[in-house]
Amino acid sequence: MAEIVYAAGAPHAPGLIGLLEAAPADVKDVVINTYRSLADAMASAKADVLIVFANDHLANSRVRTYPDFLIGMAAEHRGPYEWFKPWIGCEDYTVKGSPEVAAALFDGMTKRGIRMFAQTENLKFDDNISVPVLLTNVAGSGIPMVPVLQNCTVPPIPDQRRCYEVGKALGDFIRDDLPADMRVALLGSGGLSHEPGGARYYFIDEEFDRWFLDLVASGDHERLLDELTLEKMEAAGSGGTAELLAWVVVLGAIGSKPGKSFGYTVHKDFKCGVGGVLWDMSPNMPKSRAA
Amino acid sequence: MGLEKFKASLATHDLIQDLKWSPELREEFAANEAAVLDRYPLRKDERRAIETRNFLALYDLGLHPYLGGQFARLIFGNEAGKGATVAVNKLVESLQGKGSVA
Repeated sequence: MAEIVYAAGAPHAPGLIGLLEAAPADVKDVVINTYRSLADAMASAKADVLIVFANDHLANSRVRTYPDFLIGMAAEHRGPYEWFKPWIGCEDYTVKGSPEVAAALFDGMTKRGIRMFAQTENLKFDDNISVPVLLTNVAGSGIPMVPVLQNCTVPPIPDQRRCYEVGKALGDFIRDDLPADMRVALLGSGGLSHEPGGARYYFIDEEFDRWFLDLVASGDHERLLDELTLEKMEAAGSGGTAELLAWVVVLGAIGSKPGKSFGYTVHKDFKCGVGGVLWDMSPNMPKSRAA
Repeated sequence: MGLEKFKASLATHDLIQDLKWSPELREEFAANEAAVLDRYPLRKDERRAIETRNFLALYDLGLHPYLGGQFARLIFGNEAGKGATVAVNKLVESLQGKGSVA
């Protein structure tokens, strides 16, 4: 059976690239240390494929036809999409795709009762994929990527329990459907607290962020599913914080495991709390999941 | 202000998505906004809110806040740390009670 050798969650605020240079030194330190640690761990994991779950941000589909999960099946993923370039302020990138794993994922999730959609054309990427790709050196590492853009903001939103179920199916798919010797990396891209487009655009809920980072690092998934409600995430930043559901998918796939954070920081110009978590995927860790 | 007023069928959502996806439409919108608006089935108060840059009114009509943020950038500027900051500040000013920020 294939193995999940890397699992992490990290924010993708566009300011982490375009506004990093102007940020205070202590803020920069946390950002650089977090993404460098995640990049180093990804390189050490020697994964054959990286599957990234991230908020679609209404980048690819109309509100009237909005998928909850959209898999990118392209052989190459290019970004960022034209309109987002000046906003993110990043270089263009090309990442190798994995049409085979993407197709297997689509089939595997369909078989397990999870409705996903899949597109062979290049998806439109904004900060959701662009920021982690560049800050964790996915483009430079040569690791093939399968992006899955999810609905974290268009009601009705698949909640934490549904996303955890999707994650469980993802874990089953990886272990049972992918080639036996394949090494898989998972990244949940999004968060922490922020309210893009809202009246509280500059609001960052530091108390929520620190609570969330501690909780997901603890491995207590029963508590996570009881307490990380849509209502709680909306209160911590409407229309933005709920993209932490991408982390929940990853957690459903790996089951209860401890994680470590690389610090937390707030910076008004980022308009988003910043902190990442890397979960311990060493083979001797117990495998258990919330019901 | 959250998602509680969100109205999925609002025509402005399509306008914003199309502007985001088409440089040609953005050029036309800048040069002749009325001609672009004519092509969307906007309610009278919806069109008026767009014309007067009244984000508060658009949100009351059901505009999704994420697309509202992007609409502000389409109108006021999209460059990190520059136009995008102006756009955020204009949007917040409107949503916090000023209404029209034309």
